[in-house]
Amino acid sequence: MHVSIFQGIKLVFGKELTAGLRFRAAWAAMFMFALTTLACVSMAMQGGGLDPRLLAALLWVILFFASMAGADRVFADEDTAGTLLALQVYGPAQAVLLGKMLYTFFLLLVLAVFITPLFLMFMDCTVTAPLVLAGTIFLGTWGIAAAGTLIAALTTGASIHSGLFSILMLPVILPVFLPAIFLTTGAFGGDVQLSYLGGMGIYDLILTLGASVLFDYLWFEE
Amino acid sequence: MDIRGDTLLQLFIGILTIAVLGAVFLVVPPAEGLGDYVRLAFFHIPVAWVSVLAFLMSAWWAAAYLRKGSQRVDALSAGSAKIGLIFVLLATVSGAIFSKMTWGAYWNWDPRQTTIFVLLLIYGAYLTLRSAIPGAERRARVTAVYALFSFLTVPFLVFIIPRLYFSLHPSPVINGSGSIDMDPVMLAVLLAALLDATLIYFWLLFRGVRRQLPPAKRQEESA
Repeated sequence: MHVSIFQGIKLVFGKELTAGLRFRAAWAAMFMFALTTLACVSMAMQGGGLDPRLLAALLWVILFFASMAGADRVFADEDTAGTLLALQVYGPAQAVLLGKMLYTFFLLLVLAVFITPLFLMFMDCTVTAPLVLAGTIFLGTWGIAAAGTLIAALTTGASIHSGLFSILMLPVILPVFLPAIFLTTGAFGGDVQLSYLGGMGIYDLILTLGASVLFDYLWFEE
Repeated sequence: MDIRGDTLLQLFIGILTIAVLGAVFLVVPPAEGLGDYVRLAFFHIPVAWVSVLAFLMSAWWAAAYLRKGSQRVDALSAGSAKIGLIFVLLATVSGAIFSKMTWGAYWNWDPRQTTIFVLLLIYGAYLTLRSAIPGAERRARVTAVYALFSFLTVPFLVFIIPRLYFSLHPSPVINGSGSIDMDPVMLAVLLAALLDATLIYFWLLFRGVRRQLPPAKRQEESA
């Protein structure tokens, strides 16, 4: 049976979403991590009154590390369950990668939609440029999903798991992370430099293309 | 390279290193504004250069591994990263000392400090991944993919970071207008120091790989 790449992506995305909603461990870990971290930060700071730059950095640190709590399992869970080989036999490489990437992107967007309003409320933060904030979150989570999916594939079968994913992710994701903090600072009342959004978009595309090209070398191991 | 060639190269590197050290302490004049602190730059710039060179070469050999699957190029890629880590540590420490002596603080996230720190993180991540993957063939493949994936940060390090942060660093040797803006004596000594550091890098790298691979494998790979 011939399946087009788009149908393949849709099928993999559907499979991931069904499995994620059924077992919920990755979702619960990410959401609870984000909520716990936000509560700790808010309690320590006793509410608001923080500089926009510090607020932006805190928001992205929470989003980044919460995503590390769930996004690293997209291939390791298949490996543990013994379904990775079946996926390798029946799933076209690009459909698997892009389907899983799309699922991770969706998961992170839902996480951001959940945690950002809570962050604004707990930290007493005012958004002066909501569209910039929305665009930054969209591009930031896309970058984390693109890099995270390939790095999750790399760490499958590694002898250590704890911390390895974050160690590999941080240097690769810094080009998304730093402009995201600058733009979010702008959205919280600082200067907005829209050219950073273009830069983030280009880097996200580079990460997606790079992951797509390199994934074949992992998927078709001799 | 045979044993005689290796000995000659060692001799040349030894003589060049002594000549560079002599020139740095006896010939190079104190720089305007920096005084004698400028002498540290003749160590710092070459080690920073090799840090970047080792990163590029590691990615180059990673690509060669994915194309050919040769054990020798995997050893070169990994060896380059190991040496790169040592050089990037030296560049970070010497840069922090230079920063303290000239600007009053060890670290201020200057664009070049940020770049070298990201490089340090990449080397650390690459070597951590290498130690965490069991099985030689999978380890080689996975780390080659990571070396190339992390190489995607290069445009950001070169073009974006300098726009995000204000820099106190002196202008590069070849400045924005493409002209060379440096005292001729200093420039000659700096170029010699760069050559010396580059030769030390290649010597350490090929010697390490030669020792790591058994003789039969070396002959088979080079054939």
